[in-house]
Amino acid sequence: MLQRELAIALRARVTWLVAALGALLVGHGFVLAVDLYTAGSRSVADSVLMAREFDPLAGVVRPTLGGLYLAVSLLAPLVAARPVAVEKERGSLGALVLQVGSPSRVVLAKFLASLAALAPLYAGALAPLIVWRALGGHLALAETLTALTGHALYLVLVAALATAAASWTATVAQASTLAIAVVLASWAIDAAEGFAALAWLGRAADWSVTTHLTPFERGTLALGGVGWFLAGALGLLALALVGARFDMPRGRRAAWALAALAGSACALAGASRVRPAWDLTEARRASLPPAAVRALRALRAPIEVELWLDRDDSRRRQVESDVLAKLRLARPDVALTAPLDDREAPTEGDRDDGYGRLVVRVGGRQTETRSTSRRELITLIFETAGQPLPDWSQPVYPGYPRVVAGGARRGMLAVAYGGVPLALLALGLAVTRPRRRPV
Amino acid sequence: MGVAGAAVEARGLRLVRDGRRVLDGVDFEVFPGEVLAVIGPNGAGKTTLLECLVGLRRPDAGSVRHGGRALQALGDFARVFAFMPDDAPPPAEVSVATLLAHARRCGEAPPALAAELTDRLGLRPLVGARAGELSRGERRRVALFLALALERPVVVLDEPFGAFDPLQLLDILAVVRARASAGRAVVASVHQMTDAEKIADRVLLISAGRVVAFGTRAELGLRAGLPGAPLEETFLALLGGGGAGAPA
Repeated sequence: MLQRELAIALRARVTWLVAALGALLVGHGFVLAVDLYTAGSRSVADSVLMAREFDPLAGVVRPTLGGLYLAVSLLAPLVAARPVAVEKERGSLGALVLQVGSPSRVVLAKFLASLAALAPLYAGALAPLIVWRALGGHLALAETLTALTGHALYLVLVAALATAAASWTATVAQASTLAIAVVLASWAIDAAEGFAALAWLGRAADWSVTTHLTPFERGTLALGGVGWFLAGALGLLALALVGARFDMPRGRRAAWALAALAGSACALAGASRVRPAWDLTEARRASLPPAAVRALRALRAPIEVELWLDRDDSRRRQVESDVLAKLRLARPDVALTAPLDDREAPTEGDRDDGYGRLVVRVGGRQTETRSTSRRELITLIFETAGQPLPDWSQPVYPGYPRVVAGGARRGMLAVAYGGVPLALLALGLAVTRPRRRPV
Repeated sequence: MGVAGAAVEARGLRLVRDGRRVLDGVDFEVFPGEVLAVIGPNGAGKTTLLECLVGLRRPDAGSVRHGGRALQALGDFARVFAFMPDDAPPPAEVSVATLLAHARRCGEAPPALAAELTDRLGLRPLVGARAGELSRGERRRVALFLALALERPVVVLDEPFGAFDPLQLLDILAVVRARASAGRAVVASVHQMTDAEKIADRVLLISAGRVVAFGTRAELGLRAGLPGAPLEETFLALLGGGGAGAPA
């Protein structure tokens, strides 16, 4: 069964065209990132301290994978929907289901084929990282693999989404459009952060792909993130299975679809609440200093942080990404509330004297600050708990500035804009080319 | 109560779509070893009837019974039917060899049967090609293999003979007849009356979703008042297009 489905997925020209286009997007992101990284690296040539800021994960890997994210979001549905949708379009799905005897086996085989069809797209994103290494750039294995794992999970989610969309629509075009529309809905949630008209969507941040992908891109392996992507993919596969049950009466099929949606919504909500995560970055730079982590874990009392900052306030984003993300790595149970999020249509005029406070509660005691500094907030937690601030020293991350210029840069451009996309196209041509029929 | 010995029975199949009765109480049964031709004018509901029969469409009323039991889930239908849809080409990207191997595995066809069908349907020269490179007639031969190689009690074929020249048609009719002789019940919708005449043991004539006549060719001829007449004349007479015995 899989052999048949793999042929449908891999011998389609669109599979390789999408892979080549994806490789161009990824390659472009990579070239821009390396040029920026090079410009910065030149200016820190003589400063060890400034060199420590040069982090290839943030400076090269993440922007490169940004191209993959775009390609997976907008192009992958065209490929992943095909194995189911093309047979529906041609009218052969029913006969196949009867032949195999089980709609679920057919849908699962087609989902696996979708994943295989997206492998060339994903491989196109690995090539620039190999080029980076060949150019002498640094990549820490664990953190890079973590970032790649996040994007692989996203790929699985989009493949399941496209399969589900294909099960409920009649043509490849309809299925791809539906899947891309759902991806765009997730983007709308992300846009809510800086766009007042979509501010009402801000509360749905837990439903955004970016929310769950970001920790991976920062080198932290979040159990909740893994669970969220897998729960989403399984929920969508359940929806795809229901969609393929054309023997069911419409009412019963709709009821099962609603049950699958409700079940996945519960699973996604549950996964969002799973906090444990592991910092896999080199020198554990995504974490607080080791002594602080140990001391925070030794505190028995629950920790609560109240943020009196609006969602679109840049200080809030800084606190969340720099301070609270690290605090949660040490203490996954930390409770975070943002009371201002409950206001309808907040405006700057509504901000009173209490705006900008960070209130810390440890056990029954409470203190507050207006500073958004990491050290200040952690100090406050220990002060509130009546404990001294532990040793704040952190393993030194040496930083890896790298200048890519001259012939090396020309080689990089050739590979990113020519070599990888053309290699994928050539491979596609070889795989999809009609065979000479025996006379 | 079912008809004793029937491979499959359709009882009271009714389907309404957009306010139109596509099937209106269709009853028939088919026995092992028998070829039943479903004939009727364009839009009579032949394809819809076959899709309801094999479980790909759910009728609003009525049932399909096998072994005295009404079939419900798609899995039940899959155990009973092999189906060749009309105008549904196999996926263009898949090689004929892969399609044949897949059908053999799904249908648990004995190697001898698979080899015989491959030869008799003239597929051996095509195994290296992909489905997208085949002519219409070649695609139909592959599709026939996919249905006939399944070891299921009832083989349902939607317009299986339309794409062949007279020479090929003789071979194809013989292959289908051989499967029936091996104990399968065959239900085939047939557009050309001459084809139906050559292959059918009994004929089900439907029009506007209703059964106009059901029986052997001789019985239909008698009903039309044209004993011994070619099926085409009987068809026209029963549908009111001429001849005696047109339905009221």
